[in-house]
Order: sequence, then C-alpha cells, then structure tokens
Amino acid sequence: MRKTKSVRTVTALMLSISVIAAMTADIACATAETNTEKGFRWRNGAEVYSKVCSYCHESQVGPRLFGRELPPEYIRTIVRNGSRAMPPFRPSEIDDESLARLAEYIQRN
Amino acid sequence: MSNKYIALPKGISEKTFDSAIADFRSVLGDAAVFTSAQQLAPYIKTMMPVPDSDHTPSAALMATTVEEIQKIVGICNRYKIPIWTISTGKNLGYGAAAPAERGQVVLDLKRMNRILEVDKDLAYALVEPGVTYKQLYDYIAEHKLGLWLSMPAPSAIAGPVGNTLDRGVGYTPYGEHFLFACGMEVVLANGEVLRTGMGSMPNSNTWQVFKWGYGPYLDGIFTQSNYGIVTKFGFWLMPAPPAFKPFVIQYEDEEDIVEIVEIIRPLRISGVIPNAVVIAHALYEAPVKARRSDYVTGPGSIPDAAVRKLAKDHHLGIWNVYAALYGTPEQNEVNWKIVTQAFSKSGKAKILTEREAGDDPAFKYRASLMRGDMTLQEFSLYNWRGGGGSMWFAPVSQARGSETLKQMALTKQILAKYGLDYSGEFIVGMRDMHHIVDVLYDKTDPGQVKAAYQCFDELLTVFSAQGYGTYRVNTAFMDKVAETYGPVQRQVHKTLKKALDPNGILAPGKSGIH
Ligand SMILES: Cc1cc2nc3c(=O)[nH]c(=O)nc-3n(C[C@H](O)[C@H](O)[C@H](O)COP(=O)(O)OP(=O)(O)OC[C@H]3O[C@@H](n4cnc5c(N)ncnc54)[C@H](O)[C@@H]3O)c2cc1C
Ligand code: HEC
Repeated sequence: MRKTKSVRTVTALMLSISVIAAMTADIACATAETNTEKGFRWRNGAEVYSKVCSYCHESQVGPRLFGRELPPEYIRTIVRNGSRAMPPFRPSEIDDESLARLAEYIQRN
Repeated sequence: MSNKYIALPKGISEKTFDSAIADFRSVLGDAAVFTSAQQLAPYIKTMMPVPDSDHTPSAALMATTVEEIQKIVGICNRYKIPIWTISTGKNLGYGAAAPAERGQVVLDLKRMNRILEVDKDLAYALVEPGVTYKQLYDYIAEHKLGLWLSMPAPSAIAGPVGNTLDRGVGYTPYGEHFLFACGMEVVLANGEVLRTGMGSMPNSNTWQVFKWGYGPYLDGIFTQSNYGIVTKFGFWLMPAPPAFKPFVIQYEDEEDIVEIVEIIRPLRISGVIPNAVVIAHALYEAPVKARRSDYVTGPGSIPDAAVRKLAKDHHLGIWNVYAALYGTPEQNEVNWKIVTQAFSKSGKAKILTEREAGDDPAFKYRASLMRGDMTLQEFSLYNWRGGGGSMWFAPVSQARGSETLKQMALTKQILAKYGLDYSGEFIVGMRDMHHIVDVLYDKTDPGQVKAAYQCFDELLTVFSAQGYGTYRVNTAFMDKVAETYGPVQRQVHKTLKKALDPNGILAPGKSGIH
C-alpha cells in the first residue's frame, strides 16, 4: 500500500447504531472511510482499556483495576477528573458512551 | 460573578460571552461546546504548584474541520474571545490541557484525527492534530508499512502534532522532532489558510519532502507560539532498520557524567550512535523499580547514601546511558566495537545489552522508547513523591562534560534547599543536551506546593543568571522564561503577534507572547 487518503481509525466515526451492534456482536467498523458523521466512538470497553488504561494499570504505574468490583460511577469520575498521579481524559478522547462501557467492563473483570 | 459559567475570559461580560457561545454552538452544534463544570473537569487538572482556578477555562470547543476553525476565529475576532488550542492535550508537566490564563476558551482538536497520508516509499506522514502516536502506530502495523515512530515517553496518549509544535523530543534517531517536521497547514487569526513550504503552490507534490519552500522559512514561527492554529502536519518517519541493538552503560559516581558526555559527543556527532541518547540519573529510573518510602522517610531530599544503596539494590548506575545502534547486523557490529572500545578505556563503565538486561523493567521501557514502541512506564515517576505534582525544568546545556556536571550540581543543590529530589536526565543532542529534571512534589501537601513553586522560580533565576536558557516551560512560568531571553527577542515576538493576530485572540500568554 503506497498511500491512503482520509483514513480515520476504526474507532473514530462509528454511527451510534453500529455502537449498539458492536455491543451484541464484536464487529469492527469498516465504514470509517465513507462515514462522515461527527463523533468519536470506541469499539467497546475492552478496546479503550487495552489501548489506553492498560499501559499504566498493567505496569504498576497505577493500581490494578480488575477483580475489585470498582463501581462504574467511581471509575467514570476518576477518568474525567483525574486523581493525584492519574491524568484525566476528556470526552474528545473517550466519549461518554465509551466511558460508560469501559467502566462496566472494568467492574465485570 | 457569573453562575452560568465557571470562568469568563478576561474583560468579557457574561452577556457578550452568551452571544459568543451561541455563535459557537451554531457552528459546532450543542454537543461540541462545553461550558458546565462537569464537562470542563478534564480540562482543569494540572500538575503545577498554582491553584487550578488560575488556569480554569470558560468553555471548550471541539472542532473537526478547517472550515469550522475558520468560523471559530471569526467569532473570536468579533467578540475578542481568546482561544487556547490543544491537539491531543497531554502536555503533562507543562500545563496539560488547561489554558495559559483563566477564562480562555480551549479549542480541542482531539477529534480532528484523520491520518491523511502515510507514504511508505518516501517515509513520511501527513496527519491532523488529534492523531495519537498509538493510532498512527496501529495504522502502520496494520498496513505493514515498515516505518518507525519517534515519540515522547507519554507515547500512547500523546500525539505528533502537539508534541512537535511544543518542540518536544523522542528517543530514536529522529528524536529531535521538529528537525523532522515537513510542511504545515495553518489557520491564521484572520481566517486565511496557509500551507507552509511547498504546500503553498497549487498542485505541488513535494509538500512533505522539501522543508524550505521559497523565501523566509515560516514553520518555526508556528511552534511554541500563538500565531496560528495548525490543522495539518507533515513529518518524516524512519524506515525500520534491519537490526536494532539497544544497550545501557552504567557509571557509579555523579562526577562520571564528565567522562560519559566526553565519550558520547564524538560518537553522536559522527553518527556512530545515531539516536537521541539519554543519560539518566538513578533517581529518574528508580521509580520504575523502587519506592521512595523504602529508602527515606520524613521531610527533605533523599540523601546521597540512600541513592547509592537504592542503585545497588536495584541494579542501576548512578548514571545510566541508554542508546542504541540501528542498521544491518554488520554495520551494528562495527559500530558496537567502536562504542565498547570508547567506553572500556577508563574501566569505570559497565556495559549491558539486551542479553544481560533484557528483563530489567527500566531497560525494557527505554528499549521500547528507542524503537518507537508504546509504553507509559515512565509515568512511574509520579509515584515517587505521589500526589500528582510535577513540573519539567528543562535548561539547555552544551554537550560538554564539565557543563553537564555543573548544571547537575547546581540543580541538585537548589532542589535540596527545598527538600526536593534530583530526578534528572540529559537527552537528545549532538552538540546540546536537553537537561530534563522532573520537579516532583505532592500537590496535596500545601507545604510542598509552596516549596515547589519557589524552587522552580529560583532554578529559573539562577540558571538564567549563568546564561543557561530553558527550552520549554509550563504555563505558570512562561512570562518569566520569556524575560530571560531579553527585550529584543520579546519585542520581535510581539511585533509578529500584532501583525498576524491584531486582536490577540490566539493563545495569549503562550511563550510569554501577549
Ligand atoms: C512521564 C512523562 C514523560 C514525558 N516525556 C516527554 C518526552 O520524552 N518528550 C517530550 O517532548 N515531552 C515529554 N513529556 C511532556 C508531554 O507530556 C509531551 O510533550 C506530550 O507529547 C505533549 O502533549 P501532546 O502531545 O498531547 O500535545 P498538546 O498538549 O496537544 O500540545 C502541546 C502544546 O502545543 C500547542 N499546540 C497544540 N496543538 C496546536 C495546534 N494545532 N496549533 C497550534 N498550537 C498547538 C499548545 O500550546 C499546546 O499546549 C512527558 C510527560 C510526562 C508526564
Ligand atoms: C498515565 C498513566 C495512567 C493511565 C493511562 C490511566 N491511569 Fe488510572 N491511575 C493512574 C495512577 C498513577 C493512579 C493512582 C493515582 C493516585 O492515587 O495517585 C490511577 C488511578 C486510577 C483509579 C483509582 C483506583 C483506586 O484504586 O482507587 C481508577 C479508577 C483509574 N485510575 C482508572 C483508569 C482508567 C479507566 C483508565 C483508562 C481510561 C486509566 N485509569 C488510565 C495512572 C493512569
């Protein structure tokens, strides 16, 4: 492949409808190139965890989050506000819906 | 005082701001304009020793197109609203995503995140501001392009546009990032769109391959500045070398920095060692492996004896030189001989490669950084003191042994006066060294906050008095650093500002330019 024009990440620009689809079936979004709707969506909670949180929370920079049944509300608050050594993340980075699913994912695991 | 907004831009009434916000909403839609405390929370937290209220934004706007940004600057000019632009917004230790001054509107370009082009043959990329290193890394891997990134330690969560515009650094042979920038698209304060260099010419296909264009070179004035909003950014990528050989060389005394720098400089200038070498003090690497509380309790900076014990316990040098060879196995073998011969002469150096140190967590993350792989391990620094206080003190030094020792000793002495530790390293240069010190303190402890502020202020005062300039600074100290570079430069910056942004709407205060 020599060059590629206008590629958003698969995580960007998913229709909210495909977000619902992705919750039931773990499908990647292949429509990024033609989809012009604004917004930012991750595929699911696991993707945000592995592409962002895990780098600190699986390397002893931050405390382990799994297996503690942390309340989703608490997780969401920490992610948005940050806490001491933990930097905050903006909705432009992790949108509210993705954050909600991330928080559930962490609580479940 | 307003209840509707958590802050207002300086000199702007609530009524005027209402109108501006309504106009922003008509351009961007309601969902892309934030004004509530809850929505703005992630734009407020900084690691600086000043109240977060000093840097609280009045609103945040999420634009995704050049046309939207043109309309936004139009609105800002109409109402004289200042906007502070961020790309990925992870300028941690330099002011984070918060604006320079209370009440400024943050223009958040994180969602403008298209990878427009990656050319495998010419090894360059053209991206929008919101692209993260992680996003580009995954893209390159997915398309098997065989190109390496150079990134700062916050890799996965930061991005090439914001990092390079603040003249940040990485650890590969392309580590001095702005050297490898090639072509920008900039929305000017008057709404015009400038493409720098070859990009100004219609139909040119050399925008990302030839930096200079024709006439005065303009890209530089859009870095560490407030003369425009960069909306596209080109830069060169390194072809993956056939072989990569990372190594660390450890020394046991602080004075050994003289020998290290004297040996490294010729190897670096001649290209035997091609990458942005790091000479890290034990206290910079320690947090990856050790807890401060295991070595020292109570107030005051950590004593030298404790640092020596810590280094011994955790297989660290007092200085740890991380570097790598990149090339064919044969090239690397030749260069390895030159490196080991140079460092073996005095008998003080301990040379370790992946074979001996491959499992060491400090070596591992350093090796990742030197090949442009994602890691956030360096954030361990924040656990050293805890409490989330951090400012980068970043004076520039000659790559001369005596100078680096002098800067280290001076920094350490001033930090100790305020009970703070020397978490320092020297990085990058061929002829220079960026001396980078993380001034770590507990932001939840008012005593340490005060000490950290005074300490940083004194570091800047003392260093500039000795002729040592700072390469980059957090938003609380930008005016102070601008002063140290003298009145003529400051006046030229101001003249440019007046010409390009007469209403002063773009990031007032950036680099001390108002
Ligand atoms: C543990 C740790 C290690 C670090 N290591 C490094 C390191 O190795 N090297 C390094 O360089 N830094 C380092 N940093 C500092 C910082 O986190 C990085 O430099 C980071 O890349 C900056 O954030 P960003 O890329 O998200 O840029 P942003 O925050 O988006 O931008 C940085 C600044 O550039 C300007 N800017 C951004 N976008 C635009 C635009 N579109 N138009 C005009 N101006 C713009 C603004 O002034 C903004 O404040 C480190 C920080 C931490 C906490
Ligand atoms: C740059 C490193 C880093 C990243 C990335 C990061 N965190 Fe953290 N996180 C930390 C650190 C460090 C702490 C501990 C903060 C402290 O108490 O000083 C922490 C604390 C937390 C806590 C509180 C844990 C507790 O025991 O109370 C939660 C919840 C959390 N993080 C969630 C997340 C989520 C979710 C993500 C991904 C979106 C994430 N973090 C990404 C570094 C990080």
